[in-house]
Amino acid sequence: MTSDSELLVPLHVAYIKSLGENKDDLVYHMTAHLRLNAIYWGLTALCIMNQKEALDREEMIGFVMSCWDDEAGGFGAHPDHDAHILATLSAIQILVIQDALDRIDIPRVVKFILSLQQPSGVFAGDSFGEVDTRFSYCAVNALSLLGKLSELDVEKTVAYIRSCKNFDGGFGACIGAESHAGQVFVCVAALAILDRLDEVDHETLAWWLAERQLPNGGLNGRPEKLEDVCYSFWVLSALSILQKLSWIDSDKLSSFILSAQDPDSGGIADRPGDMVDVFHTLFGVAALSLLGYPGLVDLDPVYCMPASVIEAKGLRKSWQALERRSK
Amino acid sequence: MSASSDSIELYADDPEWADIEPVRQYENPNPLAPIFYTEEYRDATDYFRGVVKKGDMSPRVLDLTEKIIRLNPAHYSAWQYRYKVLLALKSPLDLELRLMDELAVKFLKTYQVWHHRRLLISHPQLSSSKSSSFYLTAELRFIAKCLVVDSKNYHTWSYRQWLLSNFFSGGERGKEEEEVWKKEMEWIEQMIEEDVRNNSVWHHRFFVVFQSGIRVGDEDREVVRRREIDFAKDKISLAPSNPSAWNYLRGVLDNNNLPYSDLSIFVRPYAQARSPDAEADEVIDLENPSPSKGAQLPCVPAIEFLADVYESGKSRDDIEKAAQLWKSLANEYDTIRKKYWEYRIKEALEVLPA
Ligand SMILES: [Zn+2]
Repeated sequence: MTSDSELLVPLHVAYIKSLGENKDDLVYHMTAHLRLNAIYWGLTALCIMNQKEALDREEMIGFVMSCWDDEAGGFGAHPDHDAHILATLSAIQILVIQDALDRIDIPRVVKFILSLQQPSGVFAGDSFGEVDTRFSYCAVNALSLLGKLSELDVEKTVAYIRSCKNFDGGFGACIGAESHAGQVFVCVAALAILDRLDEVDHETLAWWLAERQLPNGGLNGRPEKLEDVCYSFWVLSALSILQKLSWIDSDKLSSFILSAQDPDSGGIADRPGDMVDVFHTLFGVAALSLLGYPGLVDLDPVYCMPASVIEAKGLRKSWQALERRSK
Repeated sequence: MSASSDSIELYADDPEWADIEPVRQYENPNPLAPIFYTEEYRDATDYFRGVVKKGDMSPRVLDLTEKIIRLNPAHYSAWQYRYKVLLALKSPLDLELRLMDELAVKFLKTYQVWHHRRLLISHPQLSSSKSSSFYLTAELRFIAKCLVVDSKNYHTWSYRQWLLSNFFSGGERGKEEEEVWKKEMEWIEQMIEEDVRNNSVWHHRFFVVFQSGIRVGDEDREVVRRREIDFAKDKISLAPSNPSAWNYLRGVLDNNNLPYSDLSIFVRPYAQARSPDAEADEVIDLENPSPSKGAQLPCVPAIEFLADVYESGKSRDDIEKAAQLWKSLANEYDTIRKKYWEYRIKEALEVLPA
């Protein structure tokens, strides 16, 4: 049932297109809190497969704008949901990719984002107050895309990230928390955007990241945990930023990702044989792009968006992916 | 969706809710995001939106939000509003915590469950009450119970670290703090006993010993370092290929600026194939426990460690010995990281004079 030779692009495109249709199932309504994120994941995956036009631009922009929470000045994951920084970043990323940033009230969004910064320097996700270095990344990424990084208290933001650094070189979600590949990505990418990679212990961290690869080729997020396709992206993007991507066994990782494809209906799962979803589909395709998989479009690992979009905005940082293979 | 509502009770049919105007979910014409709900969930969330719109903060809203949370624990607006209502009603937050005990275990992977606990326990009603110690230590016990169900749950562990640093690190609780940290170390030993490969526990040990202040009895850091190094060695001898124990050992050395070469006598047997007559002339060295009987040798982290020891020697002979070990990793013992080991060889040889 696995197809470990090639990426099934037409099937994945069809799968992403089908996501909005025919959703008479329980899982779908349970994930309304991720709807805007899901559209960003789908759109970015399509861009990387060079199929941006597969989803209608105007409809997408219309949906994004219907998620605007006018009271808070940010975006919710879904119409009528309260504004949250995760959804706000997704909305901005979609609008940037679609070249439609002019639809939003930038000063208000900036105000909303900055209002979430806590005295410690970390960001909360919303007014409910959960804090996480993930949200710091969302804030930094979003402000950078909006061209408003100058309004951020950079020292304070960096100080919190620094306090989440662990003895193994990795970073956790909050002070005292264990290193985790997803948190490593958000911290390293945020520091890259802020030109503060000097905060990272490059050798120790890159080694910790390389250690995430298991003999079957897949990557895990912490020692002694299972491999999962989404970690392919988090580990690889952090390694690209540290310019150490070549430490990964690229052939074995590629076959692991390709073996997690659904060869009948498209999409990529967390690992072979599991149910596919759009989240793992994006991160599988994104990882393959960084590994130089033939025919894919370049991905910017810092922003997790098409590289050409970031370059056009003059925001490219000095990451390094593997050279794109022709065959 | 069929309309078989016989078995479920809907707010729409309940006269007690007649004063609330249900607000339908915004139906989007966009095919990217159509919405289909179960009738029970749709009914509850329609009334929830109605409640929010009206600003209703009556006790029944606690039932409504509980129902929504049980159907969908990731519904963050329901959590948020529930907390507001609890405060508005001056509800006893200890009862809320007990209700949360059930939900936390049920929805262990949902961060809202843990964040809600954080808000509750931080509220002066609990954290500044006469019984605050009781509530806080009950939290530690409750977390330990959750970790029996899922011993590596990230939210659960970070909640524990947060509790310890927020409520037991200021010195305000005097003797009681000492007691908590002492128990914490005992509990960690027990957790490592249960699964020596659980990286979360090893991380937590580092946090407790080195990152959250100095405990009474731990003032002599030299004694602490020795204790921690011996602890790691002991656990490595039980499971030599366990990366968590090796990372811990490296962490202790790095954190205290100690040279890796201090450990070479200990490491050597782990970096070699077992010699056939090893059993016969084995001398028990308490400071340097040998690999356990069935362990597979050599093991990757030990080869790597020994190579680092050689590399720090800096002489040509040392570097060449290190390169030899890296070669064995690249070609035999850790081929998945071949590129990395080749990089180490290249970097080390480059600094040698020609
Ligand atoms: Zn995953």
